[in-house]
Amino acid sequence: MSTADDLPPPVAVAGLSLDGHRLYTITAAQNAELCRSTGGEPAVDGSAHPVYYYVATQVAMGMTVAGLCAACDFDVNDGPMMGTSEVQFAASLMTDVPYRVSGEVLSLERKRSRKLGVMDVLTYRLRLHGLDGDCVLTTDNVWILPRKNLA
Amino acid sequence: MTYIAGQVLPPFVVTRVDPEAMKEWAVFLEDPNPIHIDVAAVRAKGLGDRVINQGPINVAYMMNALLRAFPGSRIKSMSTRFLDNVYGEEKVIATPRIDAVAAGHITCSISLESAERGLVCSADAVMITSP
Repeated sequence: MSTADDLPPPVAVAGLSLDGHRLYTITAAQNAELCRSTGGEPAVDGSAHPVYYYVATQVAMGMTVAGLCAACDFDVNDGPMMGTSEVQFAASLMTDVPYRVSGEVLSLERKRSRKLGVMDVLTYRLRLHGLDGDCVLTTDNVWILPRKNLA
Repeated sequence: MTYIAGQVLPPFVVTRVDPEAMKEWAVFLEDPNPIHIDVAAVRAKGLGDRVINQGPINVAYMMNALLRAFPGSRIKSMSTRFLDNVYGEEKVIATPRIDAVAAGHITCSISLESAERGLVCSADAVMITSP
């Protein structure tokens, strides 16, 4: 992958707030459905499946997926792809506990790849907090936004 | 159980990636992207003939492998790379391998492979094995 200095730059979105506007609660019932949909069973101690790090932060961040793509001047119908996803847990996620999300866009970089052609690489960070303000987890996600019109 | 670096742990096998689960995940994620729920949409985009699993489900398979391999433990951190799509109806296998063992922590790498096509995701994770 290389930078695309000969192409127009992507929109400047670094720093865009992704702070959530609503609380998110993992219900025990939905946790059970999610666990079973992945071939597992829910924990008996009230902890939620750890993959809720992604689900909860995406659902309760301050923009929809389509809205975040639009902020990057990208049509969600053009197919954003997940590149990487990292998470650091400070504690287990629990069912029936309300959480809120804070976060921001870290960067949007235009690159050229042999496989995908021109693309924008979006990196954003989200944090999940309890109502006491403690941060339960931090996640950094990288999405690939193919720019077929610039290929 | 004793854990040692280099040890390959029991795989978590999904014998059939269920398209109905993708419909559930569209609700969980509040993301109605049709490539996960409508084969016609996948075909129209030239992405094949099967619905495409949402990326976080693939992460969940790898997490399941870790949690089964280390009963009573929890995940401290995990970094996943999405290398290829996972499609409806296919068989995938998540296999953890221990990279290092330290007091209270075990570092692992995890592969997620399609039985048909090979590696589709990889991850590194640190497990907390004691309170």
